[in-house]
Parts: sequence; structure tokens; C-alpha cells
Amino acid sequence: MNYFTLMAHAVLGSLLGLAGVWFFVDVLNAKEENQGRIRIMSLIILGLMWLTYLLAGYFYVIHYSADKTLVLKGPWPFAHDFFMESKEHVVMMLLLLATYLPIIAHNNLTVNKGARKVVLWATGLLVLTTVAMEGAGAIISMGVRVSLLPK
Amino acid sequence: MENIEIGKYGRSFGLSFAITCLFSVILLILKETNQHTVMAWMKAATTHHWITHTLLDVIVFVVLGVVFAKMNDGQGIKISPDRLNSFIVGAFVISGILIAGFYLVIG
Repeated sequence: MNYFTLMAHAVLGSLLGLAGVWFFVDVLNAKEENQGRIRIMSLIILGLMWLTYLLAGYFYVIHYSADKTLVLKGPWPFAHDFFMESKEHVVMMLLLLATYLPIIAHNNLTVNKGARKVVLWATGLLVLTTVAMEGAGAIISMGVRVSLLPK
Repeated sequence: MENIEIGKYGRSFGLSFAITCLFSVILLILKETNQHTVMAWMKAATTHHWITHTLLDVIVFVVLGVVFAKMNDGQGIKISPDRLNSFIVGAFVISGILIAGFYLVIG
């Protein structure tokens, strides 16, 4: 069950990145016809982000200490010291950014040039940071794995 | 495409987001450099410093967003779309660099 939540958060994080790309393209081609879909996608991103955050938070708070001990004693201590520590704080901003998206996407992005620009930048940051967080997660997992290799 | 004003919640919560990013980084540096006071309090408050940090970020984001939305007789804070975008992107990028830089040095 512990590792189910861990993998579920990685999968949902990937879906968040994909949803972000979909949303970005939809906003780039904003028309009256896709306003409804844009708002729905912003809510899907919000839901995916909060679900990912809660699952990751559950694993981190309840189960991560055993992995942390392994990583710090292994050959890749930076997997925790840099990547995990940075990741756990950067995702807080990602959570708020995903929460902000439906608020700004509530404007009519077909006619509101300013709102559209803000949405595109925010979504671009969200997608790039999501990819970076997936990469950091992979490095942390590898940090655990190399700590278990026979010496 | 017309250049019309962003709605008051878009402006207010956008600015709130930018400020909360910077607040979050300041809190991070404060808790990591004050283990026996700030970090200890954050752990005691909710059993884990990360939960307290998240809750404080969400509270600051919501409270500032609501306050900004009520300014100017309920019309919300006045800020141009370009400036709002600069604040959002700038705060996010600067906060990310500060977080990574802090752990690069401390870690």
C-alpha cells in the first residue's frame, strides 16, 4: 500500500504534465467554442495537482523516513539533501499555481489578451516544473536503489 | 483580440500567488536556519513541518487573495496584466532558484 501511493503520485504527476500541455495548446487556440473545455481542463489540472500532492504528502510524512535513512547512508546522499528537499518545497508553489489556474481561466480567454498571456505563462511554468519534479522523483528513487546495492 | 482588464479575482489571487511564493521561501530559510525555534514550532503545530508549511502557504494565498479582491471598494487591486504576469513569473522563478540554491549550499 505504501508503494502504491508512491507510484500513484508519480502516475498522477505525469497525467498532470500531459493535462498541462493539452490545456496550453487549447489556450493557445482559444475560441468561443473551446472556452468551456478550457475551464474544465483547468479544473482537471487543479484536481490532479491536489490529488498528487496529498498522495505524495501522505507517503512523505508517514513512510519516507525509512527511505531517507537509506539514501543518506548510500552513495547518493544528494538525492535527499538536494533533490528531495528542493522538491518538497517547489511543489508547494506548484500547488498554488495549479489552484490559481481555474481562477484566471475564468476570464474569457478569446477576447482577454492579458488573461490569456498570464494563463500561458503560468501553464508553461507548471508543465516545465512538473517535468522537473518527475525527474527529481526518479533521482530520489535511484538514490534508494543504489543504497541497497551490495558493496 | 481586445485588450480588456483581467477580472478582480484573477488580479488579486495572481498577486497573492507571487507574494506567497516569496513568503514560502522566507519561511523555508527561517525554519532551516532556526531548527530549535521555528522548525520545532512547525513540527509541534501539526506533527510535521511540511504540513505546517503547506497550511501556512495556503492560508497566506487565500487571505491575501481575498484582501486584494476587496480593495478599491470591492473592485479589487489595480494592476496591469503585463505587470501581474511579471510578478507571477518572476516570483516563481526567483523562489525556485532560491530554494535550489539554498539546498545546494546547505545540502
